[in-house]
Amino acid sequence: MQQVFFAFCMILLTVVVYLAMSKLYKRYAYPFLLPILTTTTVIIIILVMLHIPYKNYMVGGQWVTSLLGPAVVALAYPLYKQRRFLMNYLFTIVGGVLIAAISGMVSVGLLAKLLGINHTLILSIIPKSLTTPVAIEVAEGLGGNASMAIFGVMIAGIFGAIIAPTIFKFMKVHSPIGRGIALGSNAHAMGTSKAAEYSELTFSMSSVAMTLCAIIGTFLGPIIVWLFHF
Amino acid sequence: MKIITISLQIVILYIFSFIGTAIHNFFHLAIPGSIIALLLLFICLCLKIVPVKFIESGAAYLISILMLLFIPTTVGIMNYPSLLSIHGALLVITVLLSTIISIAISGTASQFFEKKAQKRKDDKECNKFSSHSA
Repeated sequence: MQQVFFAFCMILLTVVVYLAMSKLYKRYAYPFLLPILTTTTVIIIILVMLHIPYKNYMVGGQWVTSLLGPAVVALAYPLYKQRRFLMNYLFTIVGGVLIAAISGMVSVGLLAKLLGINHTLILSIIPKSLTTPVAIEVAEGLGGNASMAIFGVMIAGIFGAIIAPTIFKFMKVHSPIGRGIALGSNAHAMGTSKAAEYSELTFSMSSVAMTLCAIIGTFLGPIIVWLFHF
Repeated sequence: MKIITISLQIVILYIFSFIGTAIHNFFHLAIPGSIIALLLLFICLCLKIVPVKFIESGAAYLISILMLLFIPTTVGIMNYPSLLSIHGALLVITVLLSTIISIAISGTASQFFEKKAQKRKDDKECNKFSSHSA
């Protein structure tokens, strides 16, 4: 009984802190106030202050996490809504996303090896350009760690959305399609919200690229790890 | 009423996710079960086996609270205080550099593919080989 009550409290803590931080972000939309960053920080501080280990927190937390599976399945819905769009630009989208997925995974793996990062960490950040729920599964499948995977995904997303406009200018990428694909398949959800600032077409491109990149990435991940001995 | 619809639709998504995981375990595939389920649902939607109405509110709701669902996993970072050391900094640098490289490559490549596809389309129209609308 006590166990159930404790689990319930942990779920409540997660939801309440999340709602409060989302409200804060709505008022002040700075990238460092993203709800996922602030909520995580606040919850960690509370857990450390109350001497609750992560294992105990997860007694409640796992219930929230269990919704991630259906949430990934739910991504089929936006993809379905944009199926005509996907068919119209099939060659461009698939080609662009494939290049993005390969260059993202290979470059992060090679750089990590060069800098002497340990094996488990490399496997965790290989799927850094996939959307979070998928990145977690891919990282775990490869033998990496889920929390580290999210850490990598967050950095790629936030930083990618910030730096992308400069790269586009420097590399002379002016087409909405090129920009949308680059944003969606490297900086996933954050990149897609950045793409919305450009145009409707860039936004649609980016959201289709994000979902497609997640699908392609799950196939590519194990192949690239095997090819490059990461 | 809305809550019941959303809950029931999430149950449908759960069933898909469960089937995906079962396929994953049965064939020992490297692809995660939820991605198999995503593809399965996408195919079912396209073939109208599952009407969009059956899942749209539930799917839209789950996607809107996606951030919340990651939180318990991100909190797991507390088990790795070493991230605040040089190792963490190296990890961040790696991801940053790779993101820059990959955005540059994929942006340029996609723009190139787009121009090629456009050119092919134009050629086709000139030759009157096909008349399907773009």
